[in-house]
Amino acid sequence: MKVFLKVWRQAGPDVTGRLVDYTADNVSPDMSFLEMLDSVNETLIAKGEEPIAFDSACREGICGTCGVMVDGRPHGPDPCTTVCQLHMRRYKDGDTIVIEPWRARAFPLIKDLVVDRSAFDRIIQAGGYTSVNTGGAQDANAILIPKTVADEAFESATCIGCGACVAACKNASAALFTSAKVTHLSLLPQGQVEAKTRVVAMVDAMDENGFGGCSNEGECEAVCPKGISLKNIATLNREYRRALLS
Amino acid sequence: MKVLRALSTTVGSKFLVALTGLLLVGFLIGHLAGNLLILLGGDKFNAYGHALITNPLVVPAELALMALLLVHMGKAIAHVLRGRSARPEAYAKKSWAGGPSRKSWASTTMALSGIFLLAFLIVHIATFKFGPYYASTEAGVRDLQRLVVEIFKNPLYAAGYVVAMGIVGLHLRHGVSSAFQSLGLMTNGVWTARLLNFGLLLAVIIAGGFALIPVWVYLFL
Repeated sequence: MKVFLKVWRQAGPDVTGRLVDYTADNVSPDMSFLEMLDSVNETLIAKGEEPIAFDSACREGICGTCGVMVDGRPHGPDPCTTVCQLHMRRYKDGDTIVIEPWRARAFPLIKDLVVDRSAFDRIIQAGGYTSVNTGGAQDANAILIPKTVADEAFESATCIGCGACVAACKNASAALFTSAKVTHLSLLPQGQVEAKTRVVAMVDAMDENGFGGCSNEGECEAVCPKGISLKNIATLNREYRRALLS
Repeated sequence: MKVLRALSTTVGSKFLVALTGLLLVGFLIGHLAGNLLILLGGDKFNAYGHALITNPLVVPAELALMALLLVHMGKAIAHVLRGRSARPEAYAKKSWAGGPSRKSWASTTMALSGIFLLAFLIVHIATFKFGPYYASTEAGVRDLQRLVVEIFKNPLYAAGYVVAMGIVGLHLRHGVSSAFQSLGLMTNGVWTARLLNFGLLLAVIIAGGFALIPVWVYLFL
């Protein structure tokens, strides 16, 4: 099949970009969305043109490297799916697809569809860890954790840090990302020791990096490829309130 | 100092927006309960109005409400402006996510409905609190019922008031449940569903209750 693309092309951070029209011929419905872009790039390279820059690594939906806006929705139309796991069978012959980079002040554009998401790393550096004493390894299961709590913490820990939440949010807020990390760690005994300083430091880092605040609309939850729930943001708010009032 | 600084972050600011918003909703519930006395008769309504105006606590209460409103507006406006500056370049194409998202016409128009409500509030206070003074048959008691009836007998004012209450409902439809989220009360699924429904119910009761008054006055008084 054949699909028409409108792809954001921008040679670098300081030049103006624009949507450029491309036609992807001979698209197989079995191709992933990124394989379709690969095939477009091959034709561009063959013609001596600059290929479309986009991020990807594992291509199996677990690493969080890929991510573009597809027709105004991060990672495309399917719920709980990264764009590398979106397949061309979702489209029909003659469709037009608009592809843009994540847009946020905190995610400056590097080239075409590639943005710099190191702001997320700085949020993690501010508190997304637990301090442990070095020395001999502790006995396994020395600290017992109820299964329900472990499951809940694990659900929050499945965040892959792709940035779709920021891309979807009208305020470009990093609340869902930050809250997933805060929730994951605050549920577990190892993380509770630093719970209060962590939530304050991570919220400060979120603000310092230029993300907006949360409007509680939940667009982030709806587009999250890992289905991270808005409950996490409520937990962030609760943890922040506790840190504030003590 | 630590608390003040924490209340100036994005999370702390929304905490304040939520807290002041819910307190203002609390005022609306009291205001509605008092106003509904007009359905029971002019005497009861005027007696309630008299008790309210002559209470020495009314001025401090008014100042407190004004302070709540200023904090609510100031923090909400800052939140909107910060959100805008966090995305300097707009998407060429952006669609609503759908699915579990709570994004609605109510949530996307909070700033607009808020600005409208401020304008409404000014007109509302000028019309009633600072409106013409009618003396009732009882000495020293203001005949507020006469003023209310006179104003709501004007079909334009009555209809405009009903529309304004629709916008109150729209603002609260997102605002009330959003406040519970900002206060960190929606951390479990059962309570989240309950609080979302409660927010909707409260919005309908408050907007519907206030809208009932001009309709009642226009049709029956």
